[in-house]
Amino acid sequence: MRIYEELFIVKPDAAEEEIDQFIEQMKSVVTTAGGSVDKADKWGKRRLAYKVDKYREGAYVLFQFNAQPETVKEFERRLRVSDLVIKFLTVRIDETLKRLEKRKKDRDKRAHRKATAAPPAPAQPSVSQQMLGEAAPAE
Amino acid sequence: MAEFKGRPGSAGQRPTGGDKAVATQKKQYFRRKKVCRFCVERIDDINYKDVRMLTSFIAERGKIVPRRISGVCAPHQRRLSDAIKKARNIALLPFAASI
Repeated sequence: MRIYEELFIVKPDAAEEEIDQFIEQMKSVVTTAGGSVDKADKWGKRRLAYKVDKYREGAYVLFQFNAQPETVKEFERRLRVSDLVIKFLTVRIDETLKRLEKRKKDRDKRAHRKATAAPPAPAQPSVSQQMLGEAAPAE
Repeated sequence: MAEFKGRPGSAGQRPTGGDKAVATQKKQYFRRKKVCRFCVERIDDINYKDVRMLTSFIAERGKIVPRRISGVCAPHQRRLSDAIKKARNIALLPFAASI
């Protein structure tokens, strides 16, 4: 199982109920194939950076789901066939998430080590000071 | 000694990068050392959905700002350019913007 993110643009003239219905349909595509949908966000209408199929704006929908690679194939096929969707992008994010988690953990660990290492740190200079103190009377 | 007799500051000093002084013929100026914003602010995740952050790294015409100008370090520039390209693909950012 892998975690994917799917961002797609729905035609701006599509009705709200139509979009909701489509989202439910796509959810069922994932769940029937044995995956699970983590997120299905509607971003609302946004201006597109360039024209797509003569549309200047579109409604963005973001999916995040856990599924097998074959499911993504089916998901994308549905998006391609659908009249509502004008553009889509699939990103596999499980490795990115893992990397981020690892970086965060490392960072926390380092911060923790720094916090615990701080008290014994002054001990070292004091040793050298002692040595200096011993050396001083000899001068 | 002899080399300082001539024009001061031009002969002996080689212009080096970083925050060292760059000697010109008439005046001296300092070039501030550029630092990677992602390293300094500890931003781990360069996400393609974060349009506001990405727009600060694209030029007026929609081009990706080179790192010799933005100061971003190589590993972060790699992730940044990937994110910008993904954002372009889904029409969040332009491929070529008109001014």
